[in-house]
Amino acid sequence: MEPGMYAYRCTACGKLFHPARAVCRECGGREFEAVPLEGEGTLLTYTRVYALPEGYMKPWLGFGIVEFPNGVRVSGQMNTEDLAVGMKVRATVGTVKEGVGRDYYGFIFEKAAQA
Amino acid sequence: MRKVGIAGVGHTKFGRSEVSLVDMLALAALEALDDAGIRTGRRHGVDQVFVASMGAGILNRQSSVASALVDTLNLQPAMAETVENGPASGASAVKLGYMAIASGMCDVALVVGGELMRVVTGWEATDFVATMLHPDAEYAYGLTLPAFAGMFTRLYMDKYGVTEKDLAMVAVKNHEHAMHNPVAHIQLVPSFHAIIEDEDAPVINPYVAEPLRVYDVCPVSDGAAAVVLCAMDLADRFRKKPVRIAGIGQATDTHVVAEREVPTDLLAVRLAAQRAYAMAGLKPEDIDVAELHDAFTILEIAISEEAGLFPKGEGHLAVRRGETRVGGRIPINTSGGLKAKGHPLGATGVSQIVELVRQLRGEAGGRQVEGARHGLAVNFGGFGNNVVATILSKEE
Amino acid sequence: MIVDKLEQSLRPPETNMPPYPPKYITLASGEKMVVHQASREDVPRLLEAVRPLVTVEKDFYDIVAARLYAELLAYQRYRVKDEYVLVGTIDGVIVGIVNGRMVDDKVGMSYHTVAIKRGLRIGAQLFAAKMEYHMDYLGQQEVLIVAESPIGYRRWMIEYELESRPSTWHELGGVPTHVLTKALWEKHKPMKCTGRRPVPPEMLEVAKKLILPSEYPQIPGFKR
Repeated sequence: MEPGMYAYRCTACGKLFHPARAVCRECGGREFEAVPLEGEGTLLTYTRVYALPEGYMKPWLGFGIVEFPNGVRVSGQMNTEDLAVGMKVRATVGTVKEGVGRDYYGFIFEKAAQA
Repeated sequence: MRKVGIAGVGHTKFGRSEVSLVDMLALAALEALDDAGIRTGRRHGVDQVFVASMGAGILNRQSSVASALVDTLNLQPAMAETVENGPASGASAVKLGYMAIASGMCDVALVVGGELMRVVTGWEATDFVATMLHPDAEYAYGLTLPAFAGMFTRLYMDKYGVTEKDLAMVAVKNHEHAMHNPVAHIQLVPSFHAIIEDEDAPVINPYVAEPLRVYDVCPVSDGAAAVVLCAMDLADRFRKKPVRIAGIGQATDTHVVAEREVPTDLLAVRLAAQRAYAMAGLKPEDIDVAELHDAFTILEIAISEEAGLFPKGEGHLAVRRGETRVGGRIPINTSGGLKAKGHPLGATGVSQIVELVRQLRGEAGGRQVEGARHGLAVNFGGFGNNVVATILSKEE
Repeated sequence: MIVDKLEQSLRPPETNMPPYPPKYITLASGEKMVVHQASREDVPRLLEAVRPLVTVEKDFYDIVAARLYAELLAYQRYRVKDEYVLVGTIDGVIVGIVNGRMVDDKVGMSYHTVAIKRGLRIGAQLFAAKMEYHMDYLGQQEVLIVAESPIGYRRWMIEYELESRPSTWHELGGVPTHVLTKALWEKHKPMKCTGRRPVPPEMLEVAKKLILPSEYPQIPGFKR
């Protein structure tokens, strides 16, 4: 499967979740449909972490919480040094961690092109 | 329901343990049993043992630690369980001990929390602690507790005007408190000027997770703490008058931090504290001393607000006014807190209770809060997604 | 002193090395650590400061201390080419020692970093001072680095993003060499290297006393 990131919409009430859940928090529904999470979002907060856990051979890495226009908020890595709360960012999908036998992919946000 | 009290407390020196996990737990347990006046041996009278540990399985490759502790202390045939609730394991174990006695199932319970963390490098410890985050949406990204604390701090600064200096004041205060606590890991008071104002500060106190610096983050420590719980109707059996567990509250919040509607709120703290106050029949104004989970300095401020000790967004103002130091209106983290006493995960919740007992008994030495009658502990699991609040009251 | 011919032939040729200008750093405790260059005359004191650590297995203090001990002797008695020693002191008390040497005018070699006092990031400050000496005062292009302690080594390797160069051998042993290049130094220096100059004369006077530590956190109950 092509790596992609999704929100999960409750088929009963339409509430969106990321990541997937077994039960909808709003209505208790148990069926969801995948909705692609892509494009631009707004950076709500961010940090640069200098004490990374085992497995990361880098001096620091940026992280942020991003809100998509559909209201879904996610955490991700930041692939830009130019960070500010409220800035527009663009979601890309890439390898966020190299694992033994498998890599993990997830959101890597970049600064959105100026409109 | 029967009333439940704490008849004895024990606490190892936090820092680096020279002994194994179970031997370290045993040291704290024996001190607590001695403090309660319980004689070990065949007629010990301990009905139930709870051991709180977050990492025994991962860090020490040991499971069923409670059974091992029962064996080394020869407390058979006591019932025994190991309790894991992340960094809130300790308060969860105390809660289960409370329930065991309140229900009438037993009379005396020994609750011991401990963690042997310094067997791994700092990177591995950070990675291990991060395993409590959401595996796909958080942990896989390299996100850690310091990362979430940093992002939370930035929001708090923007919204409420908290500054890096406010955070440094929390750190210095807690390190000063720890100088009066012989079991604290760090026995060194940082200079406020040196860690935040001096031109060398960016290098000697560098960022760990912006805007949090080294002196905003608790150290990695080994350590254990223990309490003996008893039914209050059996208070005469013990050496000292038990301190009563007046209220316990616990609450959960979304596991995934990004999903929280108001990202500066810690709803599980608010609800856990409300439940504990309701059970105790007390209000935040009744609290004389508090141990709040300051794994990061910002958390002491945020928890103090959610627990109702200050209005939301004003905790840092109380820090500036000196209200949260010993001698102030509502001293917080008299033990030194996680920041200076250390944070051996499973031990922390029990250690907070030990400190409150010492305060309410008047045994806290140079850090004693005069006339303390009610104490609050908040033990914070995950990044605030599973929180336990406990209120202790001195029996008159 | 007249050096006889045989001894003369055992001594490596010396390059004229600009001295390391002393500096002081305000540590988290508020204490001021002076970093200054030790001379051959200082070596006996430094040996005494290092000696207790030679038997401390924990955190590889024994290997690092024993090798530093030998390197200090080699410096004092002219057996290593272009070696230098920097020492950190607080109120005159020795809290850490670092050393290294010039391989040639372009390349430096880092030897050892020993922090006696713990918990104040003294090792990190002294390591940075050593890199500062190579890059900013000896004017070198790169420094070759290996280490015995996994924690120290990983810290330097990750935090300075050292370049791996297994094809170049380091004198301390067979582990792959890592290199601090001038570019990496310029990138990381602002976050790693600090301190003020000049050191006030009275502070430097105290630093030069090189008082032996009365306690070693690595050795509980230490008595000299």
